[in-house]
Amino acid sequence: MIPMKIRTIIFLCLLPLCVMVISIFVGRFSISVSDVANSLLKLCGFQSSFVSIESFTVVSQLRIPRIIASAFVGAALAASGAAFQGIFRNPLASPSLLGVSSGAGFGAALAIILFHTYWPTYIFAFAFGIIAVLSSYVIARIYNTVPTIMLILGGMIVSSIFSALISLLKYVADVERELPAIVYWMMGSLSSVGYKSLWALLPISCGLLILQLYSWHINVLSMGDKEAHTMGVNVKRSKSLIISGATLATAGAVCLSGVIGWVGLVIPHIGRMLAGNDNRKLLPFSMSIGAAFMTIIDTLSRIIVESEIPLGILTSLIGAPFFIFLLKKTRGGGWQ
Amino acid sequence: MKLIEIHNAGFAYGENEIFRKIDLSLEQGTLCCLMGPNGCGKSTLLDCIIGVLHLREGKILVDGRDVLSYKPQLLAQKIAYVPQVHDRSFPYTVKQIVLMGRTASAGLFGSPGKDAEDLVTNALRTVGIAHLSARSYTQISGGEMQLVMLARALVQQTPIIIMDEPTAHLDFRNEMVFMETVVNMIKEHNIAVLMATHSPNQPFYFENKGLDVNVAAIKDGGIYCHGVPSQVLTETSINEIYQIKSKRLTHEDSHNGQLYQIVPIKTCER
Repeated sequence: MIPMKIRTIIFLCLLPLCVMVISIFVGRFSISVSDVANSLLKLCGFQSSFVSIESFTVVSQLRIPRIIASAFVGAALAASGAAFQGIFRNPLASPSLLGVSSGAGFGAALAIILFHTYWPTYIFAFAFGIIAVLSSYVIARIYNTVPTIMLILGGMIVSSIFSALISLLKYVADVERELPAIVYWMMGSLSSVGYKSLWALLPISCGLLILQLYSWHINVLSMGDKEAHTMGVNVKRSKSLIISGATLATAGAVCLSGVIGWVGLVIPHIGRMLAGNDNRKLLPFSMSIGAAFMTIIDTLSRIIVESEIPLGILTSLIGAPFFIFLLKKTRGGGWQ
Repeated sequence: MKLIEIHNAGFAYGENEIFRKIDLSLEQGTLCCLMGPNGCGKSTLLDCIIGVLHLREGKILVDGRDVLSYKPQLLAQKIAYVPQVHDRSFPYTVKQIVLMGRTASAGLFGSPGKDAEDLVTNALRTVGIAHLSARSYTQISGGEMQLVMLARALVQQTPIIIMDEPTAHLDFRNEMVFMETVVNMIKEHNIAVLMATHSPNQPFYFENKGLDVNVAAIKDGGIYCHGVPSQVLTETSINEIYQIKSKRLTHEDSHNGQLYQIVPIKTCER
């Protein structure tokens, strides 16, 4: 008999892995199951001459990096959302609370207008996502301490500034090429992801590691700053570290996929219904479910219609009914 | 042994002075009831002792060391805190909430291990709510909630517990349950408790139960009186502190001895 804990870990790893493997076999460009399998074997270094160059390229250069990216994006958004909900004691908090999304959106729009090529958008989106959160933090520090409400206000101010700047860029953008690119980026897409953009997995992994290490502190911080302090948590330091972790992960995700709402807000709640509220358990559940969910969504966006459907649209349309189903099934998971 | 020593303490929010020149100490195995009207600075003083606020003048020694020199983790091994009312967040189970009290004793990332589970079970039994262990803490009553907070303070295994009007929101019975639990805790574990309270009958109760208890009343930013409840809390002093005309009654009980009660009659002019 395998103990409960190890079984849970195996399940949490297998769930996204299975979804990812299945996703490799489906796509707009039809490739037979055996061709995909042969491509995978070839990729692993086995000699396999039965696969066409075309099929091999689609599997190895397009599908695999994209599927890896989608899983990491989902995990990053879901875990950051759970962490933010915890430390801000607010079940409605999402990873974009401190302005990372609008900052990244501005960075991407700026890069699209300035360079007309794809790769600088990743770097600009990532950098401005981080800058936005740092600005929120600096604004909150005007009062020397960093009270929660000031942080949220700081986030709102920074978000609105960057939203205004995005509108400005849209206004001056070239209507033929730049404007559609900006709008499309804001709705979220993984269509341009290749191996070159997978450097973003590094900040995502670092962020997720920090969050998991501090998951117990997230629990204690959700008791409020004062009580967390009396239980021995260095509130300022732990909060900064958790915000940094969530920001690294979210900025990495947003620069890969553009702005995707809903996942960071609702996947943590699905996690809460299944795993309870202890963040030591909730974070791995959120990562696993987020990764699987995002991979499914991205695969659907690849296959449903000829031109890809933006991810931001699909996450809500498909996620919402699932959420309502779970809400009914678990009787709200202890809220009310 | 003096666990808390407050020397010449003063505090102000900006220009607004709350208290000054306060001297107070707390010995092991004793209970100190902090009294005084709303806004007199009881909670502020408690917040200074737990290191959340900083005094403007004077100093506070905890176990012989300045409170400001403590790291949060070490201070949390000396002082546990029971809030007036806990603002509930996510539907954690009662057990998870109490387990959070072990954070300061756990390692680098604060996550308590398996050994902490027994302490939690014992603490829940001590305060009499073992049956609530698996319940969601957003669904229990206010009275039960305060007992959960008390259990959480207990598992911290500190020599000092500070409570800020812990019974303010409890019904008649739950207030008694809470106070009985406090009496047992002090007697069994020889801890020191500093407790802000509004009811003068609480110090009388503790004195009647044979605890080493004293009252410190704050008025106009300073300590107005300090001593054993039966000597300090008189009709005159209640009038001075709260501007209330009252009667002090004595109840003789063959089992429990003498129990004093203050009965408020009417307010009077300041």
